[in-house]
Amino acid sequence: MKRGLWNLLIGIALLLGVAWTWAGRVPPFVIASGAGLSPAPAVGHPAPEFALHSPAGDSFSLGALRGQPVVLNFWATWCPPCRSEAPDLQSASRRYAGQVAVIAVDQGEPAAMVQAYTAQQGLTYPSPLDESGRVSLAYGVHALPTTFFIDREGIIRQIYVGPLSGPLLAQMLGTIYP
Amino acid sequence: MMLPVLQIGPLAVQTYPLALLLAGWAALATGARLATRLGIEGDHIYNAGLSGLAAGLVVGRLAHLIAFWPAYRLEPLSIIGLNARAFLPWPGALAGLAVSGYYVYRHRLPLATVLDAAAPGGLLGMAIAQLGAWLAGLEPGAPAGLPWAIAEWGVRRHPVQLYQVAALLPAFVVVLLVLRRQRRPGRAAWSALLGYGVSLWLIEPFRESSATLVAGLRTLQLLGLAAILIALVALRPQPEAKKIMRASERSSDGEPG
Repeated sequence: MKRGLWNLLIGIALLLGVAWTWAGRVPPFVIASGAGLSPAPAVGHPAPEFALHSPAGDSFSLGALRGQPVVLNFWATWCPPCRSEAPDLQSASRRYAGQVAVIAVDQGEPAAMVQAYTAQQGLTYPSPLDESGRVSLAYGVHALPTTFFIDREGIIRQIYVGPLSGPLLAQMLGTIYP
Repeated sequence: MMLPVLQIGPLAVQTYPLALLLAGWAALATGARLATRLGIEGDHIYNAGLSGLAAGLVVGRLAHLIAFWPAYRLEPLSIIGLNARAFLPWPGALAGLAVSGYYVYRHRLPLATVLDAAAPGGLLGMAIAQLGAWLAGLEPGAPAGLPWAIAEWGVRRHPVQLYQVAALLPAFVVVLLVLRRQRRPGRAAWSALLGYGVSLWLIEPFRESSATLVAGLRTLQLLGLAAILIALVALRPQPEAKKIMRASERSSDGEPG
């Protein structure tokens, strides 16, 4: 191909490139608030709403925490990696008390079992019960533990599958707090 | 379809890190094979790649340690814990490139030929990594009602990771053809950069969320556009005068024209 034709090709690539890049930009209101996106268990989407009961029978709803960053963890007492990360979640819930809510949704276990385990381990953050698995399904939880980091506006900013360590928890918290 | 964890008996293997390992192996094996064909010992590609990888992992991990030191201080055992997310990618990538580059410089290898040999494997590796990202549900596409949309995280979406595979595999084949026919070293590497740039620039807007620069412009799309323009300028045919000069240089050296 001649050099002149090639220069023309570069010019066309530049024009098309700029046009497609401009057309594909993310609208500012979506970046800030996830507006226009449906609730879904994906980064950038509003977190799906749910209401459950705690082992003590109190009602719990995610919507009531709007305005506060939330660490939403899915776990079960039989899951060894969930047990290993629980002290880090407990420590974060203490350190950020009143600023970040740590919630651990228990998957499909009876209230008595969860209550006994959390009391024995000294876990004080709320552990609402997802006995039917409905909330786990809505959040597409395929493996335990899975943790969602939700910002003040209720938008999911990070999803982590697997056990969290203290440093990883600090890294992920940085996406929703301060 | 999502398969973030492969359960093999009692062993749970995370799909994405496994795909990254496979991708690295495929890239190095392809690079070594092509290097031998271009007159460079295949071991040099393995050595340059693996030393870069080792440096990248060490620096990426150290950078994570420094960035999150207050948390590590409270939990010293996690310093030796390995986790695919406990790395900072940019410092690691820069260190890896620097060490691989130093290996090439120290062994006086022809840089353009090394890059030509490594380029197709790089595209193949990225395609395998994208397959892993698709299985793990990472960086999902925007919601779509198209017949080929797939369910990820409970929503039907553009299978962006597969779009990228569909762009990278043909680019891999094209770059192999360029490598076979090229007369000037470096053309295959520039062609690979062009192919990769096109795949980023074209597909990034179909992702659910992207890192943005200013005014909502997607960072990776801008990088893709820059790669396209740089590669097109580098691939531009030489001016006639320069060709004649090179031909006369060759004939004065006694080379066949």
